[in-house]
Amino acid sequence: MSGNRPEAGGSGGPQAASPGSPVSVEEARGLFAAELTESEAAASPRGGFLPADVAALKVRWLGKKQGVVTALLARLKEVPKEEKSAFGAGVNALKQEVEARLDALEAEALARAAALAEAAKAVDVTLPPRVPPVGRLHPLTVVRRRIEASFRGLGYEIADGPEIETDWYNFESLNFPPDHPARDAVDTFFVEGGGTGRDALLLRTHTSPVQMRTMESRKPPIRVLCPGRVYRKDDIDPRHSPVFHQMEGLVVDEGITFAHLRGTLAAFAKSFFGGRAEVRLAPTFFPFVEPGVDCAVSCAFCEKGCRICSFSGWIEIMGAGMVHPNVLAAAGIDPERYTGFAFGMGIDRITMLLHGIPDLRLLFENDVRFLDRTWS
Amino acid sequence: MKFRLEWLGQYLPGELPDLATVRRRLTDVGFIVEGTEGEGGDAVLDVELTANRPDGMNHRGLAREAACALGREFRDVAAPAPAEGPVAAASLATVTIEEPALCSRYSARVVEGVRVREASAAVQGRLQALGMNPISSPVDATNHVLWDLGQPLHAFDLDTLSKGADGLPAIVVRRARAGETLVTLDGVERTLSPEHLVIADAERPVALAGVMGGLHTAITPSTTRVLLESAHFSATAVRKTARLHGMHTDASHRFERGTDPATTVEGLNRVTALLVADCGGTVARGVIDTLAREIPPKVVKLRHARLVSFLGMDVPFARCVEILTALAFGVAEVEPGVLSVTVPSWRIDVDQECDLIEEVIRVVGYGALPEALPPPFNPTWSEPILAREDRARDLLAAAGFVEACSYSFVSADENAPFVSAVEGSAPVISNALGEPFTTMRSTPVIGLLRAARHNVRRGLSDLALFEVGRSYALVAGHPVESRRAAVLLHGRRGTHWAAESRPADFYDGSGAVAALFAGFGAASPELRPATIPFLAPGRSAEVVADGVVVGWVGVLSGALATAWDLGEAVVADVDVAAIPVPPPPSNVEMPSRFPGSDVDLTVTHPLTMAWKTLESAVRNGAPAELLRVDAKYLWRGAGVADGFVKTTLTVAFGSQERSLGRDEINRWRDEAARRLLLVPDTAVDGIA
Ligand SMILES: [Zn+2]
Repeated sequence: MSGNRPEAGGSGGPQAASPGSPVSVEEARGLFAAELTESEAAASPRGGFLPADVAALKVRWLGKKQGVVTALLARLKEVPKEEKSAFGAGVNALKQEVEARLDALEAEALARAAALAEAAKAVDVTLPPRVPPVGRLHPLTVVRRRIEASFRGLGYEIADGPEIETDWYNFESLNFPPDHPARDAVDTFFVEGGGTGRDALLLRTHTSPVQMRTMESRKPPIRVLCPGRVYRKDDIDPRHSPVFHQMEGLVVDEGITFAHLRGTLAAFAKSFFGGRAEVRLAPTFFPFVEPGVDCAVSCAFCEKGCRICSFSGWIEIMGAGMVHPNVLAAAGIDPERYTGFAFGMGIDRITMLLHGIPDLRLLFENDVRFLDRTWS
Repeated sequence: MKFRLEWLGQYLPGELPDLATVRRRLTDVGFIVEGTEGEGGDAVLDVELTANRPDGMNHRGLAREAACALGREFRDVAAPAPAEGPVAAASLATVTIEEPALCSRYSARVVEGVRVREASAAVQGRLQALGMNPISSPVDATNHVLWDLGQPLHAFDLDTLSKGADGLPAIVVRRARAGETLVTLDGVERTLSPEHLVIADAERPVALAGVMGGLHTAITPSTTRVLLESAHFSATAVRKTARLHGMHTDASHRFERGTDPATTVEGLNRVTALLVADCGGTVARGVIDTLAREIPPKVVKLRHARLVSFLGMDVPFARCVEILTALAFGVAEVEPGVLSVTVPSWRIDVDQECDLIEEVIRVVGYGALPEALPPPFNPTWSEPILAREDRARDLLAAAGFVEACSYSFVSADENAPFVSAVEGSAPVISNALGEPFTTMRSTPVIGLLRAARHNVRRGLSDLALFEVGRSYALVAGHPVESRRAAVLLHGRRGTHWAAESRPADFYDGSGAVAALFAGFGAASPELRPATIPFLAPGRSAEVVADGVVVGWVGVLSGALATAWDLGEAVVADVDVAAIPVPPPPSNVEMPSRFPGSDVDLTVTHPLTMAWKTLESAVRNGAPAELLRVDAKYLWRGAGVADGFVKTTLTVAFGSQERSLGRDEINRWRDEAARRLLLVPDTAVDGIA
């Protein structure tokens, strides 16, 4: 064979029928097979035929003017009359064979070209992605919502109140008389410019004033949760902060019992810390409740004691008690008819427990290396 | 507070109880034993006592609790009156109470012929075990009785007390007169006022009542005649005096919480016996016992049915009686199931029925309570502002901001530039921890600046932070707290290898505000150029919704950025409560089936002309089919004169009813272009 063959992706012009054009169908068929083999060999370094290769072959073999098959058919007039019919049929069969073969090759070539075009667009998928900015919620927000969710399941509403409070709402109405030693346990920040006595302004030391405001504005039955920021005059260290967050609850209705308080704390513990959690209550004193309760939850982090529970198996997380009749009366609620319970917990402390946060200051320092994680 | 097991055991006849058991049971009934030291009789318990139980702050009182908790007998130790001499005490000194409301009783004894010595080894040993250093018998004896019975006592050198008109050394319980002074035992001279209750002699104060004695009337090695004081002072009076002088003594600790008004003579007799045993002397006949005011015992009714319904659990009536009796309450069943309970004089904490119920249940044990739940409750309301704050948090987090949490107070200097951020003045804490914790912030942005500085110092300078919290102000003396959403951007945005990052700028801040409004479904706020002292001039705006200023946004002023060690910071603060949040959609219309069309207009205009002016020119007079006007891009530089900018606007048209024709869109575009040309100093590409 001569080297005069279509080039890859070639200039593709129709090839002149080479000298020695086939004169018989059999000869043409052999030549076609040979040329295909040769062209395929030439195209193989590129992975096979591309559309231009096939287009060139089509022109050479099927071209209307100088195609090999067309030229062969043109020889019909030179064929003796008695052979015309057989010759014609042979050429037609050859034409169909060549067409079918080249069509198939063309489809393959188109697919190959498309694949090559895609390959040219390929990227290094392992390079760092273009991440839209990912925001974060603060762990105190996440944990507060978890606590709220537990109590919403028990039918609690959510209430709110001011952080700059009066002495009346923060202390006196809650059965902390003026000049009472119970106030010593609560180091209080006072705000300049308030009144005196019960009108003195201070930063609330607990969210209990919200209980009083709720009882004043709404009649029993009451079942509310009061989340919020509170203040105590504590120096800053890994365990203390002058600003922290509480979650208090208050239930007032006819027939509310001490057993209801215990059951509620137990239900919360199970919902929040898992079904195996249990609560242990111990007597203590808060002026606004009677009896007062310290509530510990069985340690969720160990079986037999660990550092978190000081090897006791119990973690104190809440104060609670039955609402003092003086408090109900101060809110205008008849303490003979209604009873109630209240409980309070530190959201910061629970957050530290849940996530093993070693230092309370991390919650207020806002180091993004600390904040940039998912807390739920 | 420390207690010696042997001392407690003195009140528990029989074998000394086991330390671990005492520890556990005392804790169960509300006297938390935080630790123990030593073993056997020498063991010392460290007990945390709540402020309402001063009666437990002595060995007899705690032993009574222990006996009840352990189910053992409590037996008081008899304190017989000491042997007395023939001379009547009343002939040696006089006692007058001028303030019966502040001192209900003053009991005194006189001992003559004393030689001051050391206390007995037994007394010294007990006090040492509690961490006190023995001083001398008179002092140690009074301390011993204080720790034994809870009755604070004081010893005067009788010969140092000035005499009254009757020629006898006088004790007068009165208010101090303005300007009087007293040098107390600690050597400090204290200036007094009528707010102080004092013990005076005929001329001058000789002790701060219930707090500390005076130096000049104290027992010295040469003292021979002693007047012993055992009194009941009002808790408030002692507390006031102690606080005025910042003093705290074992005596004031007990008086402030309330002592037993009926123990004065008993305490006096015990201390006299100890003193005489150590120092000899003759006890004058009789107690000078001045009772200014009778404090009757409290009687409280306890209904067993109420106890059961209050607890939600039955405690048998007999068990209630047993517990109260063990705690020395007097009980009488006045009608079936109703007890009339006489409260012991030392139980200043018990006033009401619920106090008695607590006595019963704490001894029964809180562990015995069943776990019940209140009946179902149908919540119908929750504070809406809390839900709104939480929604703002979610929106800003979704917009790529990290939530911060910072202290509500900042330093006066930090707050000062921002006071105009809210109406009113910044509340100041009168007893702050010092700077930077004195001033309630005028905006949470200050906390974000602190957070930014913290991070930048640690090499993290590309920041997008937010805090949803309160700002605080005093308006006409009333505190006002508003709910703010504050954001801060610092450093670069869009840091990625495929494209160049850019510094955060004004539009990142206004974009955060717009995202917040959009998230709430509120119309985009108007951003009104404004001069705001803490923001960079020309890059600051008020956020206006429905004509009301609800916040601000801008680049922090250069001076403040420098003061905070920051690069350029973009900050914003919006009143979350003031965002005009519409109700949820109630009448949704089908989106148009007909695609709309966008056309562009390119306008050359002075740099000083606001985008808003261009937008208004396009909008005012446009057909109802106008949907949006957007800024596509801005070009300054080649081909545009100095002081001018070329802005390409995209104007979108669409209709609910029909496809729009190319011709009418082109007509509307040309009309808009002509309106733009009416604005002075504008040119529109392609339109003459
Ligand atoms: Zn544990």
